[in-house]
Amino acid sequence: MKIIPFWGCMMPLKYPQMELAIRKTMPNLGVELVDVDGFTCCPDPIYFKARDKIKWLTIAARNLAVAEETGLDVVTMCSGCISTLRETQYTLEEDPALKDEVNKRLKRVNKEYKGKVKVSHAVVLIRDELGLDVVKKSVKQPLEEIKVAIHYGCHILKPSQIMHVDDADYPSILDDFITAMGAIPVEHKEKLLCCGKGCMDEDLPLDMTESIFASIEASSADCMGLICPTCFSSFDLGQIMISRKRGKTYNIPVIYLFQLLGLAQGMEPEEVGLHTHRIKADKIIEKMKDKAKV
Amino acid sequence: MAKDKIVVNYRFRDKLNKVQGGKHHNYCYQCSACVAICPAARFTDEFNPRVILLKALLGAEEELLGKDSPIWLCTNCYSCYERCPQDVRPIEVIIALKNMAVEKGTAPENLAKLSQNIAQTGLSVTVTSTVHRRRQELGLPELRTVPIEELKEILADQEEPPKDNKDNDERQ
Repeated sequence: MKIIPFWGCMMPLKYPQMELAIRKTMPNLGVELVDVDGFTCCPDPIYFKARDKIKWLTIAARNLAVAEETGLDVVTMCSGCISTLRETQYTLEEDPALKDEVNKRLKRVNKEYKGKVKVSHAVVLIRDELGLDVVKKSVKQPLEEIKVAIHYGCHILKPSQIMHVDDADYPSILDDFITAMGAIPVEHKEKLLCCGKGCMDEDLPLDMTESIFASIEASSADCMGLICPTCFSSFDLGQIMISRKRGKTYNIPVIYLFQLLGLAQGMEPEEVGLHTHRIKADKIIEKMKDKAKV
Repeated sequence: MAKDKIVVNYRFRDKLNKVQGGKHHNYCYQCSACVAICPAARFTDEFNPRVILLKALLGAEEELLGKDSPIWLCTNCYSCYERCPQDVRPIEVIIALKNMAVEKGTAPENLAKLSQNIAQTGLSVTVTSTVHRRRQELGLPELRTVPIEELKEILADQEEPPKDNKDNDERQ
């Protein structure tokens, strides 16, 4: 299957290890990534949207128009990108006058957003179009006994009337994904809490991340698993901040789910860039190696 | 207090109605479903989406668009949009209010810093030599060029040419 990857900004520029993990694991699922020119930032669904929603929709519609010209489906790996692109599709579909207004701007550069392109997130593509069996078949070293506290993040799920990914209150898509890799999803009470990054306050985001860390610490999880680069920054660098500002050290490794998939597919931790994380994943790597020896 | 008249600033509400996403504030019947699910409201008493909607219904411009407005505490999680039985889409009303604050010049200074990169470079993150080096170390391909001129063109606030001229242009 050929797809157009929409990388966005956070992954290629801030967390290239995530792009690396996607590039390494997707071919093993039978997916060919066809990179194309012409994309910009999605743009981000928090700050740029707050600045000027019409321009936010315009930039997103331009990206969608670029994608439309390729004739292939577009897949994002970032919760922020999927949120922006899907909300733009929904909003312009709902309001044809607004769509005309946006297209007037696009016409200046000979582009038009028609509303035909299909945009999804990699985890949705895997569940709905490839099937989790394809994931299972790609696994060479099942992540047995690796307990993962899933953090869903907000934008992949909500609002469900736009996203159509899963039940926003009882989601299972990510739990099912890691189960297919052989790992064990661990419940914890703040599993669905927002990471707080989008809040323009100093303390509030830390209160929220700390609540999530405490909840994971109280569980039996070996690590945290997620798919959103913005949440990742709240939790990986976030733990350093919490330690500095509040004197509490958690030491919970935070892993992008496609990095976990890479490990399950038999890759070394460095091959999926785990060495670049602030919070080292040594403990789960050892656990995996011990298991492999038995 | 009970004798005080409640004055509704309809002029402000009209303005809010015209901003994308603002119109849905009219649907709010103050049920508080949004408050029950709101993570910001859980962690601070300073933020309450129902109260923000009430202020919108009253047209309390100063409180909503002032420098100390609570709207900036929103975590952008979309839980209120998910939960609202009236399709108010509270977060979108809050975004509309934020757009108005930007227009008015009362948005936090930080917002300009966090959003200006996109308009200037087409990317939200600054590309530095470190970015290139880290990508190289991981064996990732070179970054693609961003069509910044095209982006600037669609973002420019230009006056639409008068209809007649436009038709002429198209005929040429």
